[in-house]
Amino acid sequence: MLKLGLRSVLAHRLRFVLCTVAVLLGVAFVAGAMIFTDTLSAALKKNFAGSTADITITPVTALDTTAGTTSAEPPTLSSGLADRIAAVQGVAGTDPQLLVGGIQILGSDGKHTATYGVPIFASAWPHDPRTAPFKLLDGNQPWGQKQLGLDQSTVEREGFQLGDQIKVITPTRAVTATLAAITTPMLSGSSAGAPLVTFDAATAQLFLLGHPGWTSIGVAVHPGQDPQAVSNAIAALAGPDVRVRTAAQVSEEGKSALSDTFGGYSAVLLLFAALALFVGAFLIVNTFAMLVAQRSRELAMLRAIGASRGQVTGTVLAEALVIGAIGSTLGLLLGAGVAAGLQFSYQHLDLAVPSSGLKISVATIIAAYVVGIGVTLAAAYPAARRAGKLPPVAAMRDDATIPERSLLVRVIIGGFMFLMTATLYLIAQKVRGLPAAILLSLGAAVALLAVVMTSPLISRYAVRGLMSPFGRQAPVTLGRRNAERNPRRTSATASALMISVALISGLVVIAASAKASVDRNIADAIGTSELVVSNDGGGAFAGQVGDRISAVPGVSAVHRVRQMPAKADTRMFDLRGVDDGSLEGPITTKVESGSLDALESGQAVIPRNVARTLDLTVGKSFQLTTGSGKHPVTVGAVIAPNRQLNGIVVSLARFTELGGAPTDTTLYVEVAQGTDLAPVRLAVLGQLHDYPTLLVRDQQAYAQGERRPINAALGVIGMLLALAVLIAVLGIVNTLALAVVERTREIGLLRAIGMDRPQLRRMLQVESIAISLLGALLGVVIGVLFGASIQAVMVDDGLSVLDVPVLQLLVTVVVAAAVGVLAAVWPSRRAARLDVLRAIATE
Amino acid sequence: MTVDGFAGSDQPLDSAPGPGIAIRTLEVGKSYGRGETRIDALADVSVDFGKGRFTAIMGPSGSGKSTLLHCLAGLDRPTTGQVLLGDVDLTRLPEKALTHLRRDRVGFVFQAFNLVPTLTALENITLPLDLAGRKPDQAWLDTVIATIGLGDRLTHKPAELSGGQQQRVACARALVSRPDVAFADEPTGNLDSRSSADVLGFLHRSVRDFGQTVVMVTHDPTAASYADRVLFLADGRLRSELLDPTADSVLDAMKQLEVG
Ligand SMILES: Nc1ncnc2c1ncn2[C@@H]1O[C@H](COP(=O)(O)OP(=O)(O)O)[C@@H](O)[C@H]1O
Ligand SMILES: [Mg+2]
Repeated sequence: MLKLGLRSVLAHRLRFVLCTVAVLLGVAFVAGAMIFTDTLSAALKKNFAGSTADITITPVTALDTTAGTTSAEPPTLSSGLADRIAAVQGVAGTDPQLLVGGIQILGSDGKHTATYGVPIFASAWPHDPRTAPFKLLDGNQPWGQKQLGLDQSTVEREGFQLGDQIKVITPTRAVTATLAAITTPMLSGSSAGAPLVTFDAATAQLFLLGHPGWTSIGVAVHPGQDPQAVSNAIAALAGPDVRVRTAAQVSEEGKSALSDTFGGYSAVLLLFAALALFVGAFLIVNTFAMLVAQRSRELAMLRAIGASRGQVTGTVLAEALVIGAIGSTLGLLLGAGVAAGLQFSYQHLDLAVPSSGLKISVATIIAAYVVGIGVTLAAAYPAARRAGKLPPVAAMRDDATIPERSLLVRVIIGGFMFLMTATLYLIAQKVRGLPAAILLSLGAAVALLAVVMTSPLISRYAVRGLMSPFGRQAPVTLGRRNAERNPRRTSATASALMISVALISGLVVIAASAKASVDRNIADAIGTSELVVSNDGGGAFAGQVGDRISAVPGVSAVHRVRQMPAKADTRMFDLRGVDDGSLEGPITTKVESGSLDALESGQAVIPRNVARTLDLTVGKSFQLTTGSGKHPVTVGAVIAPNRQLNGIVVSLARFTELGGAPTDTTLYVEVAQGTDLAPVRLAVLGQLHDYPTLLVRDQQAYAQGERRPINAALGVIGMLLALAVLIAVLGIVNTLALAVVERTREIGLLRAIGMDRPQLRRMLQVESIAISLLGALLGVVIGVLFGASIQAVMVDDGLSVLDVPVLQLLVTVVVAAAVGVLAAVWPSRRAARLDVLRAIATE
Repeated sequence: MTVDGFAGSDQPLDSAPGPGIAIRTLEVGKSYGRGETRIDALADVSVDFGKGRFTAIMGPSGSGKSTLLHCLAGLDRPTTGQVLLGDVDLTRLPEKALTHLRRDRVGFVFQAFNLVPTLTALENITLPLDLAGRKPDQAWLDTVIATIGLGDRLTHKPAELSGGQQQRVACARALVSRPDVAFADEPTGNLDSRSSADVLGFLHRSVRDFGQTVVMVTHDPTAASYADRVLFLADGRLRSELLDPTADSVLDAMKQLEVG
């Protein structure tokens, strides 16, 4: 059976190639994700081996946050603790360490260095090289406030040299110092590989914390001592406020933290693998259906000469097996390429991400083949089964066709699925918020499947309507009839495109709504402040910035907003501290209940959506967990959802009590009445020379900036979805090309009685356009409904405005039609090359 | 054997067919392959087909009947010689012009697979006109349709018609554009005798009543007897001719051919 299958594959290169490509792309994503993850974790293991102190002591934080990236005060340990630990039996040495993130390094061009989202850390120079988390490569240990060290990657990338004046921005100030030391990047912990700035210990405390303290203590254990025993002794001594971990524990946790960071990429890749395979499956289903239809006489002949049903089914499945195996092999190779590309792009960014050779594990290979062959076999199975059901007498008949099951079953299943979608929709209306969005996504998936099930029926009526604007010329009529003649095939081909287009148009609607909501929200919340100061890419900046701006002539007020993460009822929220009066001017709010005055008494103001999630009303109390511990907080007011204040809002004083640092995330600057804005803005900018990452924008520009991440995310997702569209287009090419083969005689006849090549091309184009328009329109309809219902349940969660970008959606449909024209190019060239005489030969 | 209607070697080579001639071949040859494996499917065939005449072409299998018909109908290009339809030399026409000539000036009925399965019988009949973007001459269309006697089955798809009905639809399609010549390659080859009689009767009537020119390939003496004239081919060459044939005279001629 395998031999027959192999022969058949070789005899029909075309369908073989297209099916293989479909399998290949899906498998490549799966393999790419797995190889990338394996490679990374191998590299991490290598890195974590032996570069950590024997025992690490850190403060217990109720909330694990990276110090310095928000206004959260980094939790610290006292110096005294290090001395007491040094006295513990078995301890060879202690090394208090200070490591803070959220640093910026200015390049030689005065702009901050690009790190593509990886935070830059600053550290105190370690006392003891044995427990140091990095090593000196060149120069000497930096001393005093006028010297610093930098990691080698940064030095090389920026072209710095020892002795250069380097500007860096720490959470408390802007610093200019001489480059005295070139070090490795951090070698361990969650900041491994990240750019690193180093100062001597006292300077580091001043620049990074503004007060004495350490973020961790590294302990070296006497040789021969059991680290776990020593660790236990230290834990007993230090009490419950600190965490004591051995090197083994630290490296385990560090590894999982890093895999979390990069795990996102694997998840995205796997998601697209699923999408690519799903869309590709339609192509395979179609190919095998056509294959069996074309070969039904031959297969019936096999039955007639004594092959069993199972054997006939087997020959067809054997072909699927060959295609699946080849597709998986190529996909595995391409996946390795994808992983290598990902790794290369990381290294290319000079982030010194730990690297090692590509790791292709046995599990990856097995997964690639199981997925590739499994999907191919599953997609080919329905056709194979029908082949088995061919009656042997079909071999004797001219019009050997396999009776297809009536569409009734499909319609019933489809109808049931539509009911399910409706139910999910109704439930989502009750739940609202993010859980509702997930329910709706599920509903949309079911709805897509329902349309796939019923689309043969839909296509019967839809194609005629869709194609009526194309006129009634003979080639058009013929093309349209061809699209109608096999509704299952047409709809399966169109379904692949429908799914891709539905995802794209759903995203387009959500993104447009998000943008419109940002605009509306900012317009609603636009207050009296003329200028908004924030960090490019987010993050907190030194309080000194606000002080300097206040001193600028013409500035009447500076309102500070600080921000850090906090947890309430297992959910993370942004906790904001605001100045007195910030909510009644610089930021416009609409109080729904309670009073903003409650802020002064330490109470919180929360938007309606947060109130609903936490089931809170004015006067109720809840527990808020921040880096400094658990705190009871009372709700003083509920306001309308507000983008700039999405989360929990307290006064600045209360914010500090809750563990906030004196660093700001946003400043709202008001200019005195009657003062010209432009010179004031220039003067403000003049005060910020040391802080090149700070943006001083008016509210419009600020809104523009808020929209940028939406566009960026959309771009990445769009590119990956384009791949799904590509597979769908391959499906159309495949269907048409196979149809040309199937209709060789018919095309020969048409040519013989006078159809010229342009007409032949038009006929195939019309069929192709009919398929792609059907797919695109169904997709747009489902996508828009999906996007709109997501918006409806997320009204209070950032999607307050529905925006259906008609133009973009129209472009999608027009592009789909154009794609239809393109997809027909190659098949019609094949058709035009057909030898008329051969086609009509009576054999 | 001297035969009336042969374009003998004593006639001027470049002459366009006279007013009574629909289509003429001049020393047409067609060969496949090269050197050792060369096959001459047609050799030196010069023949005139009169307007309004029903000509049958007969000969053993592989004698070149279909090849000749394809060259006449502009479906194939002869290796040597000329084919003149009116004053047009088909052998010199580019592909596109040849396609349009097939559509506008020639009709063709194949042995099988004549109809487009997605079109109704009526749509199949008018397909050449639709491809040309021309409106059918309604009176003529009605006449043709009445003659094939399909009645209420005109709106049916080919799959719902019998083999004989399908061939009659194909004949109607071949005539609907009032072509200079209608060609048929064994149009009754797949039919039982009753259906054959229907189809042949239809072709005969189209010649008799409407002055249509018909050239038909057949190996059935009875079918040939419907024609005004029978040409006999063997090994790609014209061997003899019979006027006003009957089934018996055709059989006799075939026997003679085998002997001689
Ligand atoms: N495409 C081709 N390639 C090679 N030989 C061919 C081809 N078509 C026809 N022939 C040869 O030409 C001869 C005449 O064929 P044909 O006209 O089909 O005969 P008939 O229709 O009289 O049975 C045959 O010997 C046949 O083998
Ligand atoms: Mg023949």
